[in-house]
Amino acid sequence: MAEITLDTVSKSFGAVKVIDDISLTVAAGEFVVFLGPSGSGKSTLLRMIAGLETIDSGRLEIGGRESQNLAPGQRNVAMVFQNYALYPHMSVRENMAFGLRNIRMAPDEITRRVEEAARILEMDALLDRRPAQLSGGQRQRVAIGRAIVKEPAAFLFDEPLSNLDAALRVRTRVELAELHQRMQSTMIYVTHDQTEAMTMADRIVVLNDCRIEQIGTPMEVYTAPATRFVAGFIGSPAMNFLPVQIEGSAAVLADGARVPLTVAPEGAAELGIRPEAVQVVGPDEAVVTGEARVVEHLGDRTLIYAVLPGGAEIIAQDGGRSTVAPGDAVPLRFDTSQLHLFDAAGRALPAA
Amino acid sequence: MSGPMTAQTARRFNLAGGAITLVTVICAVIWAFPIYWGIISSLKPEDEVVRPVIELWPETLTFDHYWFALTETQIGSWYLNSIVTALGVTFITVTTSMFAGYAISQLRFPGRTALWWLILASFMVPTQVLIINHFVLMANMGLLNSWAGIILPQLIHPVIIIVYKQFFDQVPRDFREAAVMDNASEWRILFKVYVPMNWGVTTALSIVTFIWAWNAFLWPFLAVTKTEMMTITVGITQVWDAFGVYYARQLSAAVLAGFPVALAYLLFQRRVTQAITLSAGIKG
Ligand SMILES: Nc1ncnc2c1ncn2[C@@H]1O[C@H](COP(=O)(O)OP(=O)(O)OP(=O)(O)O)[C@@H](O)[C@H]1O
Ligand SMILES: [Mg+2]
Repeated sequence: MAEITLDTVSKSFGAVKVIDDISLTVAAGEFVVFLGPSGSGKSTLLRMIAGLETIDSGRLEIGGRESQNLAPGQRNVAMVFQNYALYPHMSVRENMAFGLRNIRMAPDEITRRVEEAARILEMDALLDRRPAQLSGGQRQRVAIGRAIVKEPAAFLFDEPLSNLDAALRVRTRVELAELHQRMQSTMIYVTHDQTEAMTMADRIVVLNDCRIEQIGTPMEVYTAPATRFVAGFIGSPAMNFLPVQIEGSAAVLADGARVPLTVAPEGAAELGIRPEAVQVVGPDEAVVTGEARVVEHLGDRTLIYAVLPGGAEIIAQDGGRSTVAPGDAVPLRFDTSQLHLFDAAGRALPAA
Repeated sequence: MSGPMTAQTARRFNLAGGAITLVTVICAVIWAFPIYWGIISSLKPEDEVVRPVIELWPETLTFDHYWFALTETQIGSWYLNSIVTALGVTFITVTTSMFAGYAISQLRFPGRTALWWLILASFMVPTQVLIINHFVLMANMGLLNSWAGIILPQLIHPVIIIVYKQFFDQVPRDFREAAVMDNASEWRILFKVYVPMNWGVTTALSIVTFIWAWNAFLWPFLAVTKTEMMTITVGITQVWDAFGVYYARQLSAAVLAGFPVALAYLLFQRRVTQAITLSAGIKG
């Protein structure tokens, strides 16, 4: 269990900057998820911590030890690969023992650790099988077991669930969260799946385009996105964005409808509001009335894709028994406690 | 087309299959016939061999020639020389090529590309061109008529380096990275990960190299003048005496020379194919 600190680290591949001056502290025992779209540099950042990619500039500390120039094996971190990378010619036991044999650990200690890991992961029966004789989920466990036996300062995961089917992914997600609870070790987990991030993370680091957009708990990034990117990336269906003019204490939509605000600088801005904060109400309560185009019944709730008079599209959420039909006029009200405002540069403005 | 096969298409498939089988069988017979002819001729008395008729089975079966080859020649020493030199060539060639292939495929060092081009270029040079140099070199080193002299010039097989490099290139990068994270040294990555993941190649290349080395004639023929230092391929040319050539005797010695290789092939045939499929399955 160790703290990991990145201090203004950068990385370029040739002329292309992939990581740009990133600073970040992962507390000991924390489960941090790197979340971002494809190509945002999540894997690269993780691999820089692991030592599989060099760090061009900046400082990396693992457990208080300056590590940016150490060999991967000496950083005391273990990595679980997306394709597991289990050695196909070794049994599960040998796969887990390999890293320990490399550092000439005493055989009894190796046996003890392998059996301990097998017990934690409930795979005692699989120890003498080859990876080819295991299911995808079992291979995944072995890959995690191979990391556990090292008793590392931190675990690094690069999209470890992406090769599993949907049901198994959900189950393994829960198991990983439990594992973290039990072992209390530092874990850094890379994914582009926001559900994984929201459900497992203590804190989420949202990456986009070589930079950190926001660091925060799942609820913070959801309820108080620091940028328009984070607001749009997290949440499904995505947040609605409406161009507005701020006048006095209201945001004025394209058709003149006014949404009351408390404080905000005057001028053009973008109003962000999640579908669940856009409610279908009676005509007299409405802030604005749209025309329903598509209605999706999801059972517990209903999503209404509507067009506002100014031409803007908006997704509203109604109850599971909604009677709205395509073509209907839908009176909408915005929950003013859940409004977000973004300036032209995409930064969040104080709203509500 | 997913409908059921009609009787007509089925018949056409059968016909095509039959034709292919027939062609294969004919080819196999054409290939096998000289070997068959050699073996039965070695079992005929000398006068029957030179008779100008084609007899597919000997009139009188005799093992005299084999007895002669085994008792009246130095075939025991020749076998030993062949075994030692062929095994030596195989072992040294395969291990050094494994190292070279690994270094070029996996390590980053200055001059790597130049080295790779050099190896590719040497692949283009036929050994025959170098044979005079080899002879002079071995003579200067005083290695003619010795095992070392037979082995050393036969160690140049760039194709084996190339094959190893290609197989190592195809091992997914994750395995190397996992091993690096696992604190493995380059030696352990090579011997515990890359080589075992490519056992099929090593087996196949070893067998192929062994057969090349066993069958080598030109170089051992030049490098050795003493009868007791000859390899079997060179030795069998010595099975003649003052009365001229005895075909059956020659052939029996040739059959004896080829026997171990044929046996090795028969024994390992399944392993070779199996091993190649195995290592093909790993890459994916
Ligand atoms: N070895 C490399 N050489 C050159 N460019 C690279 C290399 N590895 C990654 N990149 C580039 O760096 C950027 C970040 O890549 P990275 O693999 O970190 O993305 P990612 O966030 O993990 O994406 P994904 O979700 O698709 O895995 C990409 O634009 C990629 O093209
Ligand atoms: Mg990635």
